[in-house]
Amino acid sequence: MTQMNTIDVKDFVTNAIMDVFDTMLSMQMEPADLGSVKAEDGNRIVGSVSFAGKLMGSMNIHVSEQFARIMTAAMLGMELEEIESNEDIYDVIGELSNMVGGDLKSRFCDAGLTCELSIPSITKGTDFKIEPQDWARHECFAFRMKKDVALVEVYMKTDQT
Amino acid sequence: MTLKVLTVDDSKTIRMIVKKAFKPFDCELSEGENGVEGLALAAKIRPDLIVLDITMPVMNGIEMLEKLKGEPQLKDIPVIMLTAESGKDNVMKIVKMGVKDYMVKPFKGDELIERAQKIVKLEPKKAEKGGEDVLKKYFSENDDVHIMMLPNKIDGTVSAEIKAVLEPKVKEMTGAGANQLILDLSHLSKVDTSLIRVMLSIFNDFQKADINIRVVGTSSIAASFKDFAETSEVTVYKSTEEAKGAF
Repeated sequence: MTQMNTIDVKDFVTNAIMDVFDTMLSMQMEPADLGSVKAEDGNRIVGSVSFAGKLMGSMNIHVSEQFARIMTAAMLGMELEEIESNEDIYDVIGELSNMVGGDLKSRFCDAGLTCELSIPSITKGTDFKIEPQDWARHECFAFRMKKDVALVEVYMKTDQT
Repeated sequence: MTLKVLTVDDSKTIRMIVKKAFKPFDCELSEGENGVEGLALAAKIRPDLIVLDITMPVMNGIEMLEKLKGEPQLKDIPVIMLTAESGKDNVMKIVKMGVKDYMVKPFKGDELIERAQKIVKLEPKKAEKGGEDVLKKYFSENDDVHIMMLPNKIDGTVSAEIKAVLEPKVKEMTGAGANQLILDLSHLSKVDTSLIRVMLSIFNDFQKADINIRVVGTSSIAASFKDFAETSEVTVYKSTEEAKGAF
């Protein structure tokens, strides 16, 4: 419990998001004040991975559908009009979630909270809220590049909580 | 001889990045979506190199690697593992399994090529679609001066293509007694780390062969160069004619 509470999740998430977006998308994301981020209207896409082991939890990355399209074009080195299907977008968001989640998992394991990482999953919809229950710790962080925003949520508990 | 490369990843995106990275080279790419498909393809095509993801459904990369190492006819195929996990335990596990190398995601295509080149010999593809030679795509001649024109954007494919043609171009120029090269960046939209890496390779390879380089670009490129330690001292000429006059 103490071990989990002393983890600097903000630092882990910030480093992972900035590294993954810069390397894979050539996008320089900046941490943003959560209060200044307006709730996205329209379709949202959420990439999720879960952790299971001494530490259990999940990590969700929320982006608007429009930003997801921009991210997909950047990752695949193509124009927005060249994106063939939603499957391409889901694959990109899933892979980015895997990379960010993989980095978090490594940091957790190095801190002694060994866990395994799930394969990523995707949720798409409008006007929905994810409310996982019974977690000992819940953190949410916002990142911005110009007008585009990514929200990252992390839920955690240990086998002793 | 065309090199056979097998990429095994459940993500179409990653398979596409791997394919694009190897595109400038004389390679034949095959794709598998999981360990089961990867093993079947490995047995069928006997690749020269396997780029293998770890986290996959049906059969993950670790299981596939174990089975591969258990097959006498497949065990010597070099494998580069891709993993999203950089933790000490994970890395140790991978290294102990006898892979040639591993890469932690996120990664860029040109980084993968750098690792692959340490394991297998990658030859540049002789002809692109439509018969256009890769050398002709980037190089031209004006009087006795050779001109290298970079495109609007330096992505992984462009970067790999350029790095692949540097050696043959240097040989061609030194063989012909040519020692003047203009690097034309006037079409470039921005200066970023990908461009800086490519420029360092260009300067390194040509200057080692005593080939003089002058750089042409817009005033915006010249201003951006000041922001990078590697390019802050580079003089940027406004036109090819001005650069030629500076040799």
